[in-house]
Amino acid sequence: MSPLVYYLFTLAFFVFAYCILGWGLNLQFGHGGILNFAYIGFVAIGAYVTGALSLGKPSGGQSYIFGFSLPFPVGLILGGLAACVFALLVSVLTFRRLRTDYLAMVLISLSLVLYDFINNFVPLFGGADGLTNVPEPFADALGLDTNTFVPFFAGVSLLVALLMWWVMSRITNSPFGRTLRASRDDDEATAALGKNVFKFRLISMLIGSFYAGVGGGLIVEFAGAFNTSAWLPGETFLIFAAVIVGGVGNNKGMILGALIVPVLFTQLPKFIPDIPGHPGLILNIAAMAIGVLLMLVLWFRPQGVIPEKKRLSKLPPLSERHRSTGAISAQLTTEETL
Amino acid sequence: MTAPDLGGAPTAISVDSALSCVDIHKSFGGAKAVNGATFSVPKGSITALIGPNGAGKTTVVNILSGSLSSDSGRVMMGDTDITALPSYQRARLGLIRTFQLSRELGGLTVFENLMVAAKVQPGESLMNVYLRPGLVRQAEKESRERAASILEQYGLYDLRDNWARELSGGQKRLLEISRAVMAEPSLLLLDEPMAGVNPALIDRIGGHIHELKAAGVTVLMVEHNLGVVEKICDHVIVLAEGRTLATGLMSELRENTDVVRAYLGGVLDGRVDR
Repeated sequence: MSPLVYYLFTLAFFVFAYCILGWGLNLQFGHGGILNFAYIGFVAIGAYVTGALSLGKPSGGQSYIFGFSLPFPVGLILGGLAACVFALLVSVLTFRRLRTDYLAMVLISLSLVLYDFINNFVPLFGGADGLTNVPEPFADALGLDTNTFVPFFAGVSLLVALLMWWVMSRITNSPFGRTLRASRDDDEATAALGKNVFKFRLISMLIGSFYAGVGGGLIVEFAGAFNTSAWLPGETFLIFAAVIVGGVGNNKGMILGALIVPVLFTQLPKFIPDIPGHPGLILNIAAMAIGVLLMLVLWFRPQGVIPEKKRLSKLPPLSERHRSTGAISAQLTTEETL
Repeated sequence: MTAPDLGGAPTAISVDSALSCVDIHKSFGGAKAVNGATFSVPKGSITALIGPNGAGKTTVVNILSGSLSSDSGRVMMGDTDITALPSYQRARLGLIRTFQLSRELGGLTVFENLMVAAKVQPGESLMNVYLRPGLVRQAEKESRERAASILEQYGLYDLRDNWARELSGGQKRLLEISRAVMAEPSLLLLDEPMAGVNPALIDRIGGHIHELKAAGVTVLMVEHNLGVVEKICDHVIVLAEGRTLATGLMSELRENTDVVRAYLGGVLDGRVDR
């Protein structure tokens, strides 16, 4: 396989993984209005749990819990569920008492605490060294080498992404999604209509965190390693940037956001050779470019490249409706609407 | 049922009341917003809650609807003590409210604003979304038809696919009331439904409130426009300094010297817009 094809499959994998991550955050933030600034922490929990469940017993100086050598789909699902359990704890403790901005502050603090805890508590997931040599799913069974594993796993990730797209589309297009968006717009008015806003937000938090966990699990299975440098708390804002650029509240926009921000602006520059004498300069320029991109989008197109879609009623025009019902009622006059 | 003696304030709680509150107190820091309000709203009536600015009307409405908890006192809906219930549970019992400033769900269309309010929504359970799609579709179909009828009745049908945030002030008022109607209230709390609304629309909203009464809905409305109160309300509650000053017909209250002194004086002198 030529390096270019290998590279393109690698980028494709990251598009699929970041789509999953983005859909999860988009459900929480775009549809539910939850500013989850700890999102990368949920990604990390999914990644660590998936990795530690896929690995065998610790050896070679590594330290981590689990080590059950579970097969790929099982570890991935349990990684997602682990993120869910953590989300449940966080939500129960915070959602009833805290509103948007205060909740955001608590979550960003949580992200920092979680990072420091895992970075320093070596027996849990290896501390700063993290997990290494995570087995490549199906590689032994199918006799895959490094060259063939990458396109194979990109394909697997595409299938997972398609499944999660279908699941997410059903959620956001359902009455559940509608009520969740209502709570995003005005939680008090939504509660006054008989809706348990806490329940809707909790469910969106759990589902979004499951997506975070699964996305993180895919990344650790693909990369074969995961450590704290991969989930610095600032990484959350990369996914936020993808959601904002793609289109808040729009799952299709998120695909574009995943392609532009985490892939073109973050993963792609990693494959560009360093400028002699200036190691890391390209990555720093890319990081600044993301900031500029975000500012431009917020200034010129705050609704994102693909804005939240208007869900039309598909009701017939009034004249047609009158023909079918035989009833006529007065619509607002100009004087009344002034 | 009889409320405790509050030293001169009206205390009688009618047996056939749709909603009553007993000795409600609420302070914000050192400021007493509500100081022993006690009144009942007769079943099937249109009742006005009036009083000077700062009398505690909106705070009382917030406490009645569960948006705000009181420091002490009881709120009863019929025979049910709802004091400890959160607002969404009160709404499920049929107590629906609107807000002083229109609270449209701006990121939803006009049609969706009504659909959200539908009482029976199996599609709000994700289990039903995946496992019983037929049930969800059927409920949505019924809600769609009901929402379409209400939009037509309230003159908003042609605006059904507009973003709610794009409506004018008057249209937002109508949307909020029609959304409340979609929620099938037995008791409707309207917080200044005519505020900022042009006279032509005031008549229309007044007509809709009468239609609701005819349909058996009890209405409690905070209102400053005494002309409207006189025209459409059966019963009036006057609040002043967080207490119930008087209750009765508007014509009776005009003769009440306490009420005249506290609130109506300006009206009688022609200083308040009627």
